[in-house]
Amino acid sequence: MKLLSWFVIGMALLGAALPPVVGAQGKPFTVTGVRGVIFGAVLPGVPRVISRTDPANSGQFDIKGVKDTQVQLTFALPSAMNGPAGAQMPIAFGSSDAGYSQAQVIGSQIGFDPKQPFTGTLSKNGRGSVFIGATANPVANQRAGPYTATITLTVTVLP
Amino acid sequence: MRRVLWLAAAIGLGASSLHAQGVMVAPHAVYIDHRVRSGSVLLYNPGTEPVEVTISTLFGYPVTDSTGAITLRTVDAPDSTLPSALAWIQAFPRRLTVAPLERQTVRLLARPPVGLADGEYWVRLMIAAKAGQIPIVGVSDTTAIQVGLTLEVRTIIGVQYRKGAVTTGVALSNVRAQLRGDTLVTWSRLVRQGNAAFVGTVRGIVVDSTGATRASFASPLGVYFSMEPRIASIIGKLPRGRYWLRYEVVAEREDLDPALVLRAPPARDSVQLFVP
Repeated sequence: MKLLSWFVIGMALLGAALPPVVGAQGKPFTVTGVRGVIFGAVLPGVPRVISRTDPANSGQFDIKGVKDTQVQLTFALPSAMNGPAGAQMPIAFGSSDAGYSQAQVIGSQIGFDPKQPFTGTLSKNGRGSVFIGATANPVANQRAGPYTATITLTVTVLP
Repeated sequence: MRRVLWLAAAIGLGASSLHAQGVMVAPHAVYIDHRVRSGSVLLYNPGTEPVEVTISTLFGYPVTDSTGAITLRTVDAPDSTLPSALAWIQAFPRRLTVAPLERQTVRLLARPPVGLADGEYWVRLMIAAKAGQIPIVGVSDTTAIQVGLTLEVRTIIGVQYRKGAVTTGVALSNVRAQLRGDTLVTWSRLVRQGNAAFVGTVRGIVVDSTGATRASFASPLGVYFSMEPRIASIIGKLPRGRYWLRYEVVAEREDLDPALVLRAPPARDSVQLFVP
């Protein structure tokens, strides 16, 4: 009886501290935004390019799911960033500015056009990473201050 | 035991993402029975900031493009010829905030029309997660131009609603295969049978002239109408010679409860491979 009581208490504490018990219908699936694209300081009139292979400044998303699952990756990309007092700064994405790595290694990517859907396969461990770069194009009389916009990645579980 | 393994997996996922932005969605596929007419999805925030979540629904199903890549074909306003549950499956709540290390449940409620025919009906659930803004470094310097892009993530999972007698199957034809260096690339034509999506696995085994297995692959697949998927697998370089690829499509899935996977006879074919 005492053992049973401790078991019940232990299970209750465990349940309060842990993530949800996953139902029997399928496994959990997680998409996380790890790092935004970081341009840092830019100079007026001088384009600033961030490569998708830049380990410190490229954007990164991690995917965790079911092994060998095919996922469709679709970006919604901004054309400009919003800054102070309604100022905007154009931003561009090239045809190979996105990359997918099954091994989650920035140096081992398959490049793709972020303006087109891309289908990737998760690894044997059910993982994959998406990297993205971009080019900020400040004009010569660009107003000083912070500029930002949002990149949205949609991951569709396909099968 | 199975439940314990899922729990362990969930703990591992949560622990490794503590500093990231996003939510864990479980399960990755939802099945609703007409007798119950409801389902649920669990959201867990493994991060350190609250995550704003927006839930929406859409209709779509996987197809293949001209290269064999699988993509989601979406239909904004599906007509009566499509098995859509878009008009009558709703999610509650549609907006919620998941606190750090907390979980929330999203309920799915079905209100099917009277006289709904037996069969399977589909909808997709989109879970949009937005965490706090990533700060732009150096914003205190008002004379400089500081630029950064923040991230938002959306996850789309499938929801299948089943009423009455549901059957499925797959017809396999036109199997092709090529060895490109260390990669085996296969194509086939798959046509769904019955009144429900075929959810299963494609398996391939490469055997040599003695019948010994030299390589194998497996890929989960869902055939909603018809498709011609291209599957590329790294199998390593094979020595010169003739081989056979034994290709089969089976109604089995490691990631789903077997009770949810509709039974269907396997479809098989073989093609010869030659390494000069």
